[in-house]
This record gives sequence, structure tokens and C-alpha cells, in this order.
Amino acid sequence: MDSGPGDEALLLAVAERDMGAFRVLYERHAGWLAVRLARRCNDGDLVADAIQDTFVAVWQKPRGFRGDGDIAAWLWGIAIRRLVSRLRTRGGVAAVSGPAGPAPAAEDQVLLSVEYGDIGQALARLSPEMRAVIQAVVLDGLSAREAAQLLHVPVSSVKTRLYRARAHLRAALAEGSS
Amino acid sequence: MTGWHLDDDMLRRYAGRADSLAEGASAEQHLLSCEPCRARVTAAASVTGLGVIDLAAVWDRTRDAVEVPRPSVFERLLRGAGLPAPEARLVAVASAFRGVWLAGVAAVLAFAALAAALGDARGMWLFLAVAPVVPCLVVAAGYDPRLDPALEPELVTPYPALRLILLRTVAVLALALPAVLLFGLVVPGETAFAWLLPAAGFVAVVLAASTWVSPLRAATAVSSAWGAVVWLLAARSGSPDAVLQARAQAGFLALAAASLVIFLLRRRRLVQLRTWRQR
Repeated sequence: MDSGPGDEALLLAVAERDMGAFRVLYERHAGWLAVRLARRCNDGDLVADAIQDTFVAVWQKPRGFRGDGDIAAWLWGIAIRRLVSRLRTRGGVAAVSGPAGPAPAAEDQVLLSVEYGDIGQALARLSPEMRAVIQAVVLDGLSAREAAQLLHVPVSSVKTRLYRARAHLRAALAEGSS
Repeated sequence: MTGWHLDDDMLRRYAGRADSLAEGASAEQHLLSCEPCRARVTAAASVTGLGVIDLAAVWDRTRDAVEVPRPSVFERLLRGAGLPAPEARLVAVASAFRGVWLAGVAAVLAFAALAAALGDARGMWLFLAVAPVVPCLVVAAGYDPRLDPALEPELVTPYPALRLILLRTVAVLALALPAVLLFGLVVPGETAFAWLLPAAGFVAVVLAASTWVSPLRAATAVSSAWGAVVWLLAARSGSPDAVLQARAQAGFLALAAASLVIFLLRRRRLVQLRTWRQR
């Protein structure tokens, strides 16, 4: 299924200053990274800058990958932090991708609850602000400080919202199981 | 892999940001470890026009960014001093070529200073002949395309010529002055500083003359003229004190002021920049 050399081999070649390997790595990963980053930030220019920063960082320090886990996860870790740092220098740009499109139709809701059970419904009932915090801290693995920069809110708000979101989920799950 | 993959519908919702948080989280977790699904996300985003950015353009920028050599110490210093990156590059490009040139200048100066330090009147004259023209030669070399092919592409983009010239003059002088001053310390007495005002005057003359002829030609002419004057003075009086007199120093100051006024008045006619633009 996999065509061409693996990511590890590419990264090694990049460490040897192989521009061809660098290009392959870029074409393999820039796309999905951009899609995922765009879910965190509405500004296409900022996303493009973050992608560029990410791959420049990879070129400069290809040995930053220590061989544990997926290279994709490593790249994402760099990319989201580059986006945060771009947001910090730019400042004042709407960062949150807002509520995720139109509310899902009733049919989809049913499907979802089948697929994800109670947790899916509990998550769906979270306010957009809380969802954004959950996404940044729990799913993207950012620190509270980084999440605060990404979402343009004070660090204290991130912590409060995270606390409330947890309480909400816990309550929802307890309610569902009883 | 696990055999489980994102289905096409889910993929479309994910790329189009029409998914729920739980869906998105699950998709993203899967993407981290699934090469084929990553490729499908990229394809879905570009096919449906949901690709938010021009990946080819970003690649070009990324390649350019990594292929550009790291800025020199001097350039980073300029940026640290608050100069915007493009201007730091413009200023530093000139100085990058100056390394060898400066070494030669330093050697000549060192010999002159040594000769002067030995106490010989002829050595003193040698120092006085060389030191004042060094800054203007260095400045001229900072702009002459015959010495500096890297300058040509810079002028493809419009740039305030006056600002460029002055920035570079300051930068080049900042490089040259410490060396010249250092050698001046070897020279006994006031002679060590007597050359400062003539040097300022000559730089200004070269800047003014560059509105008519190329800076290098102007600097050569100034240097030759100064050499001749020093030679005449040395032949007549044999003492370097003539240059040290307040009247002579005031004369150099007036020369500098007058030349600067001419330069500012005629700045739109900078020969250097005109010839660059014609190419």
C-alpha cells in the first residue's frame, strides 16, 4: 500500500540535505497538516505560514524526531505550535474555527450516538468555547498557555473552561449510564 | 494497519469541517497513524476546492527559505539593531564582499602606522596620505557594480536610493572606522586623529561626485588629488604639522558640509542607480 520510502528513511535523507526527499516529505504531509490546521484557524495565510515554518524547522532539525511514535504525530506537534507562535506574533486574528458548520441533522445525530455512544452526545452538547478548549488541550496536546494563545483567551479561562467541560462530561456520562 | 479506515462520507465532512467534535477527534487520531487516509484527506481537500492554501506556492517559499544561506553575523547584528530584514540584507551584501578588501586596506594602513610609529617624518606623511582616503574608498567600493555584481539584482525592485546609499555608507564606515582608529593609536601625537575630518570631507565629496560619475572613479580621483597634495606639502615643508592646523581642519569641515549639501540637492541624479536601472 505504501509507495516509495518510508517517512523515517525520508527524514534520514533530509538530514543528509537531500532536497528530493524533503520534497516527497512535504507532498506527503503538507496537505493533511494544512487541512487540520485550517480547522484551528480561519486565516489561510497564517496556516500557510505555519506550514512553511513547520517544514523549515524539519529541514533545520530533522534529527528532532527521536524515533518514537509516528512521524505524522511529530509533524503535527511542530505544526500546531508554529501556528500558535504565528498567532502570537500576528495577534488579534480570529483563531477559533467557530462552531463546526451547520448543526448535524437528526438522522446524523442518531448515527453519531450509535457510533460514539454517550460520549459523542455529551461532546455535542458542549458550548463552542468549551469544545475549542477540549480540542486544543485534550486532542492537540497543547499546554494551557499555548491553548490560551491559540484561542486568544486568558490562561485562566482555558483552565476554567477545561474544568467545567470535564465536569459536564462526567455528569453527562454518569446520567447516561444510570 | 487496523483495517479500519475513514469512509468517504466522513472524509468529506472532515475536510469540509462539517463533522462533530467526536468525529473529528477520532478522524485525527486515525490520521496520525494511517498514511493512506492522510493522502485521501489531502486529495479530498484539493478536489472539493476546500484546500485552504496553495500548497505548491508554500512549497516554493519553503524551499527558498531553506536554500537561502544563514544570514551572516553582520546581517544578524544589523537585524538585532532594529533594521528590517530586507534592508539588513541590502546593507550586508555590500559588506560581504568587503572582507578581502578590508584586509588589504588594513594591511596598507598597518604599514603606514608602523612607519609613523617609528618616528620618521616620512612615515608620518605616509600615514596622513593613506588614512584619510580609506573611508571614502571603502564607501565607493560599497556601491560600484564592477566590484560588486551582487548589487545588480537588488535594484530590480524600486528602493529609495538615498536611503540605500546612506544606510550602506554608515554600515561600511562602521566596519572601516574601528580598524583605521586602531592603527591611528599606534601613531604618536595628534596626527592620530588629524585624519578624521579630512576623511569625513572625502566621503562627502565622493557621495556628491557620485551624482555625476561613478563613486569608484570619484574616490580614485579624490585619493590621487590628496596624494598629490600630501606629496607637495611634504616636499615643501617636510613637517606634517600643516595638516594639523586649525585652519586646515576647518577647511575640511567646510568641504564636508558643502559636499553633503550638493549630494542632498542632487540626490535624484545618482549616477550609480541610474546605470543600474538602465540594464
